[in-house]
Amino acid sequence: MSATLRDKYAIVGVGQSPIGEVPDMDSLSLLALAMKAAIEDAGLTNKHIDGMITRGPDDVYTHHQHMGQILGINPRFSASLASGGASQCAAVAMAAMAIEAGMCETVVTGYGRNTWSRTRKRGTRQGSERGLRLPGEPQEFAPEFGLFGATAMHAFGCRRHMHLYGTTKDQMGAVAVAFRRHASKNPLAQMREPITLEDYHRAKPIVEPYNMLDCSLNSDGAGAVVVTRAERARDLRQRPVTIMGFGQKNNLRGWFHDDNMVTLGGLESAAVAYRMAGIGPEDVDVAQIYDCFTYIVLATLEDYGFCKKGEGGPFVASGALELDGALPTNTSGGQLSEGHIEGMLQIVEAVRQLRRDHPPDRLVKDAEIAIVSGHGGNTVCHSTLILRRG
Amino acid sequence: MAEVAYQKPLPMPSELSAPFWEACRRHELVIQRCQNCRALRFPPAILCPECLSAVVEWTRVSGGGKIFSFVVFHRVYHPGFATDVPYTVALIELEEGPRLVSNIVDCPPSEVACDLPVEVVFEDVTPEVTLPQFRLRPASGKV
Repeated sequence: MSATLRDKYAIVGVGQSPIGEVPDMDSLSLLALAMKAAIEDAGLTNKHIDGMITRGPDDVYTHHQHMGQILGINPRFSASLASGGASQCAAVAMAAMAIEAGMCETVVTGYGRNTWSRTRKRGTRQGSERGLRLPGEPQEFAPEFGLFGATAMHAFGCRRHMHLYGTTKDQMGAVAVAFRRHASKNPLAQMREPITLEDYHRAKPIVEPYNMLDCSLNSDGAGAVVVTRAERARDLRQRPVTIMGFGQKNNLRGWFHDDNMVTLGGLESAAVAYRMAGIGPEDVDVAQIYDCFTYIVLATLEDYGFCKKGEGGPFVASGALELDGALPTNTSGGQLSEGHIEGMLQIVEAVRQLRRDHPPDRLVKDAEIAIVSGHGGNTVCHSTLILRRG
Repeated sequence: MAEVAYQKPLPMPSELSAPFWEACRRHELVIQRCQNCRALRFPPAILCPECLSAVVEWTRVSGGGKIFSFVVFHRVYHPGFATDVPYTVALIELEEGPRLVSNIVDCPPSEVACDLPVEVVFEDVTPEVTLPQFRLRPASGKV
């Protein structure tokens, strides 16, 4: 795509709410806390915000309307996205596009959820376990055959990948173990107890080939960022992190269609983002990869060109994901261990790595460029961000 | 002994999919074919995703295919499946091309594999509803 937007816009503030088990707070309140933190991190107030892009829980109508009310903002541009976990990177990209179009100047974007608390209150892990049909769930061609939930939808691709390329559970386990090691250094992470490959293999099966430690967490929490013009960012409180490139690809014809479960939208989404950024995978210092399930990490790394298609298993098992590895990945623990906020915390972590906010034992040395992936909508939606230390 | 009512979810057909389920009751597997470009499609939809024609017919398919991928449920997401776990849910690629979700029956999960050939069998689960399911083709054996 066009390189004219490269480095023209920047993330100037990041924030997050408490993460993990946060009882007695709804998702709107959690997101409000994260957005307030991001606005203050930038050295701004709610009076400076004239754009807002959110993605609420799917059952909240006109989500951005609620957030504007809580935060006292009447934006010139606002929207709520609905691409699942691909929404968050897409929202940052949309913020740049909206400012470029003259719609607004300074955008707050974020995502919040209270999945841990909500599911515990119901007394079940998921509504579908009680036999309920939730809005948006299929009414035929799935439940009558016992097909329920995102875990299974993502397990089909994993199985196919194992069949085609010999990908192993040991390799998937390496992802879970590496991200937990990162989380063990993150005082805000939901799961900090280190795990071994043996622990991984002992975890109870959920939907094979996935066991409990292949699956991301149920979390309460929220994250948010503020986007504005890079030239304006120089006057603000934080060192800016510029948006070098972004991309999207959405395989809306379905997870079951074509080769979509093995080659994700990430292949084309990353290609667009690399072109805009004027870089390739060899230039990336740190990656934040959407990890709803272990397999999605290695498939995305293949699609992003860090290894060939089919070689994601050996790549992740090589130690590449460690802080001093070939591609330090999900350096705050990811959704497998830090908390599952649908990719929003991974944008926040990319910014913190590039600003070098963390103590040295959590930092990727001399990181200048980060890539972030978003993935959602039952494996069909994909978005990519490439960020640079400003 | 009184007959126990069927405990699992039943399909909730739409106007678009009703012919599929009616054919299952006759133990026939049918899918939509575009009358304009002849493309086959599943799941049922109002337009052909290739040429956007709305002119459609239902055509009977062989019932043969292969296992494109499969998963094995250990967690019970619905009480109707409590005594079935572990059970196999497969994405079947029909010989004619389209793919559909179903179960692999008469086969332990440990013997299921991608790309094995399968054929449809029909299970009358209630007087009104018949589910198309699949079993390994007897002659195929394991690859």
